[in-house]
Amino acid sequence: MYGIFMECWVSFKLYFGKPWLAVLLVASALYLIITEKDLRKKIILGILPLVIMAGFLFPVTKKVYVAALDDGSDTYYRILWLIPMYVVIGYAACRIIFSFSKSAWQRIALVVILAVIAMSGSLVYMNQYMSVAENLYHIPQSVIDVCDKIAPGEGGPRVRAVFPSEMVHFVRQYDTKILMPYGREMIATQWDYYNVVYEAMEKAEVINAKELLDATRLTECTYIVLRKDRKIDKDLTELGLELFETVGDYNIYLDPVIMEHG
Amino acid sequence: MQPIVGILSLIFWLLIVPGLSGLSFNFILPRERRTYGISFIVGFLVQMAVFEVVAIMCMTRVVFSAFTYCCRIYTVLALAIAAGGILRSDILLMKGEKSYVTLFPGEAKAGAREMMSPRADFKLFKLYYSKESMVYWGIFFLVLAFQMVMSIVMASFDGDDAYYVVESLLAQQADVMNTILPYTGVSTSLDIRHALAVITMWIAFIAKVSGIHATIVSHVVMPLFFFPLVYLLYVEIGRIIFRAKQYIIPVFMIIVAFLLMFGNVSIYTPATFFFMRTWQGKALVGNLVFPMIFWVFFWMLEDVEKRKLAAGEGVKNTVTGVLFFRNRISPWIMLGLINMLSGACSSMGVIFGSVLIALLTLVLLYFSKRWTVLIGAFCCILPNILYLAMYFSLFNRPA
Repeated sequence: MYGIFMECWVSFKLYFGKPWLAVLLVASALYLIITEKDLRKKIILGILPLVIMAGFLFPVTKKVYVAALDDGSDTYYRILWLIPMYVVIGYAACRIIFSFSKSAWQRIALVVILAVIAMSGSLVYMNQYMSVAENLYHIPQSVIDVCDKIAPGEGGPRVRAVFPSEMVHFVRQYDTKILMPYGREMIATQWDYYNVVYEAMEKAEVINAKELLDATRLTECTYIVLRKDRKIDKDLTELGLELFETVGDYNIYLDPVIMEHG
Repeated sequence: MQPIVGILSLIFWLLIVPGLSGLSFNFILPRERRTYGISFIVGFLVQMAVFEVVAIMCMTRVVFSAFTYCCRIYTVLALAIAAGGILRSDILLMKGEKSYVTLFPGEAKAGAREMMSPRADFKLFKLYYSKESMVYWGIFFLVLAFQMVMSIVMASFDGDDAYYVVESLLAQQADVMNTILPYTGVSTSLDIRHALAVITMWIAFIAKVSGIHATIVSHVVMPLFFFPLVYLLYVEIGRIIFRAKQYIIPVFMIIVAFLLMFGNVSIYTPATFFFMRTWQGKALVGNLVFPMIFWVFFWMLEDVEKRKLAAGEGVKNTVTGVLFFRNRISPWIMLGLINMLSGACSSMGVIFGSVLIALLTLVLLYFSKRWTVLIGAFCCILPNILYLAMYFSLFNRPA
């Protein structure tokens, strides 16, 4: 039981990242329990959040949750979503601000509270996975440029192409007429699937061109997209492929054999 | 020309149709809650409920061009409901005063008469805000505008988009509903695990009717639609918890907006999902559905308090007919619709939503001392029970 409790505790700490937001939440809930006169608000915004947090840390909750749901271990943290965190902190903060009778003090209190929130939290736009959008699709422009070159025309048959891993997430968000021999399921670290093209394309430090070509022909890939600086033991054109186009940092190779039979 | 038509189409389907649907159905609400904001929420919930039923029906019954059938049937029903809103407003305006307040009586502001009348509860009226409160509202709207602009200017990366966004795009481009593997493009049997969460299909519908690429609709249009909707919900929560002191609401909203914007303390928080995965069902469950459930319970607890106060003042507390329906039944109907939205967003929402409703019903039971709330709670989770029954029957069905 202690082991499961520690798992819950680790999940709890991971959820709140910086500890200050959790401190703000608990402090707000306790403040409301002590000072709020309206019993309804005291229960929902003060007691209930603490009960949910306690329930989250209680090992039996996790045991039941993991037993009931397939992906229970991965999604256990979502129990904490049941806490109306922003309402609790917002309500407690407003009570503090408006406990001052003079409006000048109220304004100062608001500024201080906003500063505390900013310092205890983390601005979403500073997240490492946030970047300036290159286009309205919000996917890398290089993906769009490559896809535009190989996408079938209106009414044309779909094509299959193999892409380097940094492009895999985005290709089909742009054009579903482009098929891939493998997708995100091979890139995501939590799954451990086998795919022959992926093995040849991504696993080796230096690509074995013959192995890659065998794999792409087996899966009927018309195009192979490679970064220009990707190490490969032999130029693909020497094995009968054509350099179809170079777009930015990427070479697009066309396999005439698949093109003809596909 | 095409972008203009697309934008007009988005305004029609995301603002006008839910707004008119709200006018069709806001009669279920008590008079003081028939504001534009709550009516819009009702309209949106009704539209999502209808879409969910149509989408699941088409997905499980139609083999070829399922999405086209889904769009056609839903378009007819959605427009019929919206037309009902126009018809009802015409009738109301013909009968009563030709004013905005006739359609949304909850928007009425307390005048001198209401403030002085011993019979009127001025707290239920909207108040005129002071200059300082108006400044706070201004600051809040600036923060909201900043967040909306940033949702266009900044792109977030999330691996799950390779699944959810592509499901929407597949519906738009290949006319299928969850029968092609998003990652690679090979055909598959209906993916039950995600299929009943039809929010991806709704996004595809918006993309199809507007002619805008589903990925743009997901990444750009959805935040522009859901950010104000989520904040509207917090305004409604604020209106109840600060009922006697409505001038606090804009300050509350500024704080909530800051909490969300600075809430990216980990990849797990609702705030992170709100800004970085707005278009994914689970983000909507955490940021729209759960706060909605809290809002409706605040609403019911406020009603309980009002009834207790009325009883204390010797006012007869038995309501029948339409009033009974509006005061006692409508919140449960709202919860039923919220549960349907929850299912449309994520199967996880159905389970978590039911647990949250059970918890809050216990609180309501304690205050109301009426066992009938248990019946209400049971009836409102019927959509969840049906959803889970369908989920497991499809899951165990031979391929």
